[in-house]
Amino acid sequence: MNRYGGYHVLCDFFTIPVLIAGSVVMGAGSAWSAPITFNTALPVAKNEFLVREQFIINRSSDDPTNLNRDRTAKAAVSVLGYGVNGKLALFGVLPYRDNELKLTVAGQRIKRSASGFGDLTVFGRYTVVQRDQPGRNFRIAPFVGIKAPTGDDDKRDAMGVLPPSVQVGSGSWDPLVGVVSTYQTLDYQIDGQISYQINNKANDFEAGDVARLDGSLQYRLWPRTLGGGVPAFFYGVIEANLIHQQKNQVNGQSNSDSGGTRLFLTPGIQYVTRRWIAETAIQVPVVQNLNGDALENDYIARVSVRFNF
Amino acid sequence: MKKVLAVMMLSMLWSAATFAAGTEYRMRVDGLACPYCAYGIEKKLKAIEGVGKIDVDLNAGLVVVDVAEGVALTEPQMKTLFQDAGFTYRSMTEKSLDGGAKNE
Repeated sequence: MNRYGGYHVLCDFFTIPVLIAGSVVMGAGSAWSAPITFNTALPVAKNEFLVREQFIINRSSDDPTNLNRDRTAKAAVSVLGYGVNGKLALFGVLPYRDNELKLTVAGQRIKRSASGFGDLTVFGRYTVVQRDQPGRNFRIAPFVGIKAPTGDDDKRDAMGVLPPSVQVGSGSWDPLVGVVSTYQTLDYQIDGQISYQINNKANDFEAGDVARLDGSLQYRLWPRTLGGGVPAFFYGVIEANLIHQQKNQVNGQSNSDSGGTRLFLTPGIQYVTRRWIAETAIQVPVVQNLNGDALENDYIARVSVRFNF
Repeated sequence: MKKVLAVMMLSMLWSAATFAAGTEYRMRVDGLACPYCAYGIEKKLKAIEGVGKIDVDLNAGLVVVDVAEGVALTEPQMKTLFQDAGFTYRSMTEKSLDGGAKNE
């Protein structure tokens, strides 16, 4: 993935961007509101386009080591979807990243940062099961994709090549596969997905593969009673993201301070109209069973808008 | 200015007269479950020449479409249209906008 330069100890930080990237990609049938933390369920009809613009802040500061690491990763993630036909949809996900890492080295507080476009992920989703009934629908759709190394993975500062946790790109081609399912009624919607991303080696660094299990419940809070026509819906949202990452490999050696399992609970809200959707959510880590001194997440906040055109 | 207004009035009257002699289709569609559903359907229906007013009723699972005189919507056409939009067409009834039932 990224270069790690002389800061081997920082390699565990790569866990976080991988989780963000994974979350963004997974953050994706054809006619529903869709989860906030994954993209694989985004609805797009034949010959139509969908755009989602999501702003993400990922904070990690609870460092068990003397390095006192403090990391803030901001991203503006653009998602473009296109419906090839009623079953097949194609998506592209491109983040613009702004990563910052503060840490204490030899008694001095230093800051390392990088910004720029990150890695482009493209994936296709094919609906294999579609069951429609009055006021409800059910879909199952497998998806497959790949993350391309379009972002810089060799950015430098005055101290040399930046560690992987600060780089905006990974340098590697990483395939992903999964399946997403949606059950929607007029009152609520449930989405679930399971996915796996294989992370490959670049620059003598290989981030651990990522397995995810995500769920989302969107419940209509307003209007309480449905009349005629097409009113806007206001949903309360709760999502859960179970993410397991294997240990990173540095120069062929497993990094014991990387990888592990995290469970996020994510409350959010969503306002859904005919043309656009606005939504926000905050991912709160409730379990972080990480290896060694891997840095824990404080929270991941998301705000996004979505348009059909 | 008066000429412009006269042309606008005439065109509105002509349009109203055309649709008054047209047909209303009431289509039952399965899978409609959120506001986001409506846009894609409306967009695809509006692409058909002669389609006027479109009303989607999520709660009833109904899509009501007025078309101008001489325009007809067919079942195979609607099946494909709703399939492309991501839904399942079930049935439709039609009636003349001047009051007479054509098919119930």
